[in-house]
Amino acid sequence: MAEFSLPKNSKIGKGKHFPAQGAKSPKQFKVYRWSPDDGANPRTDTFEVDLASCGPMVLDALIKIKNEIDPTLTFRRSCREGICGSCAMNIDGTNTLACTKAIDEVKGEVRVYPLPHMPVVKDLVPDLTHFYAQYASIRPWMRTESVPPPDRERLQSKEDRAKLDGLYECILCACCSTSCPSYWWNGDRYLGPAILLQAYRWIIDSRDEDTGERLDNLEDPFRLYRCHTIMNCTKTCPKGLNPAKAIAEIKKLMVQRRSL
Amino acid sequence: MAVKRPLSPHLQVYRPQLTSTLSILHRITGLLLSLGGTLLVAWVLILAQGPDHHEHLQAWAGGGIVKWLVCAGFYVFVFSLVYHLLNGIRHLVWDAGYGLDIPNAYRSGWVVVVLSVVITALLALRAMIGGAA
Amino acid sequence: MSLQTPLGRVRGLGSAREGVAHWWAQRVSAVLLLPLSIWFLSWVLPVLGQPYSDARVFVAQPLNAFLLLTFMLALIYHALLGVQVVIEDYLHTRWLEVSLQVAIKLIAFLAALATAFALIRIVLGA
Repeated sequence: MAEFSLPKNSKIGKGKHFPAQGAKSPKQFKVYRWSPDDGANPRTDTFEVDLASCGPMVLDALIKIKNEIDPTLTFRRSCREGICGSCAMNIDGTNTLACTKAIDEVKGEVRVYPLPHMPVVKDLVPDLTHFYAQYASIRPWMRTESVPPPDRERLQSKEDRAKLDGLYECILCACCSTSCPSYWWNGDRYLGPAILLQAYRWIIDSRDEDTGERLDNLEDPFRLYRCHTIMNCTKTCPKGLNPAKAIAEIKKLMVQRRSL
Repeated sequence: MAVKRPLSPHLQVYRPQLTSTLSILHRITGLLLSLGGTLLVAWVLILAQGPDHHEHLQAWAGGGIVKWLVCAGFYVFVFSLVYHLLNGIRHLVWDAGYGLDIPNAYRSGWVVVVLSVVITALLALRAMIGGAA
Repeated sequence: MSLQTPLGRVRGLGSAREGVAHWWAQRVSAVLLLPLSIWFLSWVLPVLGQPYSDARVFVAQPLNAFLLLTFMLALIYHALLGVQVVIEDYLHTRWLEVSLQVAIKLIAFLAALATAFALIRIVLGA
């Protein structure tokens, strides 16, 4: 049976409360904590942050907490402008990038958890090893046999290039895959929306010469067909992309190449 | 790695939304219809068996709390069929590659919900006027 | 504990090179069920609660019997495909999964046979 409740070692206990003294505009942040060092179960700590002296995004608040309240708070971040995908996490019940999620979009307490249904390395840092291995498994690079022209690039028409719009922007933050219930229950075999969108990005690239092989490798009850068009992926994508549509297009190609 | 990593919370923290709610409802109604289909097979079998068995069935389902349960189950079945039918059309349109953006998915989702309730209510009304449950 | 690489684990037993047929069959049976379900909701629903003789007269009409048979066979097939996916999704205890997958196919087969025999008998008036 797929496990719908959390395993024993993952149940979340009550954590500490860090009040903000004399804050002009206090906001509560309830943050998931787990450390591999103390053998304790995960907990949620509540930090009060004075928004009067804090940047506008959830990431600003997390950095402020780390700087001023608890330096052990652990999370990934890098570009702080939605292009690296490091700070993907579950904020206020949906997955998004902490750096592009405005604090004032959240009414009341801001609940911050790691990306759902993933092994936790520490606090808000999930282990993405399996996700990256799935990405590697689709061999995400241009595969060709024709020798490239000696004096220029492989050419692509404007129309063919336009087909990559809405796909090449994917930053592999894993928000969509970890929002997908099907990926939760069958992520060991189901590739998930992010990887399938990336796969489609190569399938429709007019310069690629390995389309059939790519489809062969996806044609599987689990790798592809665990997608039941739940649409959580498209709903949550912080880049406004549409993985559900990309997967639907792959399924159409699967039908197109066979006899009915 | 000696420490066993915890699993981050999923159903426990993820916000319920129209996308996933209608999807799981499609699955639940599908399972109920499978069950209802089995009962439909039983009904056809009893019909073929002859009037005695049919009378037994009607006598059993005809009174008291059983009658209410049968009636409630019947309308759960009707709603399931109507909803699964309408949402099934929504899925077929998606599979053809249309309406997969979030505004359209929400629009079609609400249309399916409202229509399912209205049609089920109309069918119940027809049954009441017609006298048959 | 396994020392297999993450990529090795993901590649696993490789692609099954199937799944389209199932997906397509689910859609085709769905399309077939659209008009039949509307017919069922409009005409058969009231009959379910009627006394024996009325119900039997309705089902004994050749066109009704034919539509009911088509509806029920399509429904059984469509349900079989759907339940199969539900089991694949949630049941990860191998012996239980295999037993259930076999069981539902048997149940669907028997249900289809029973329906066909019963309806033929009703039409022929035995």
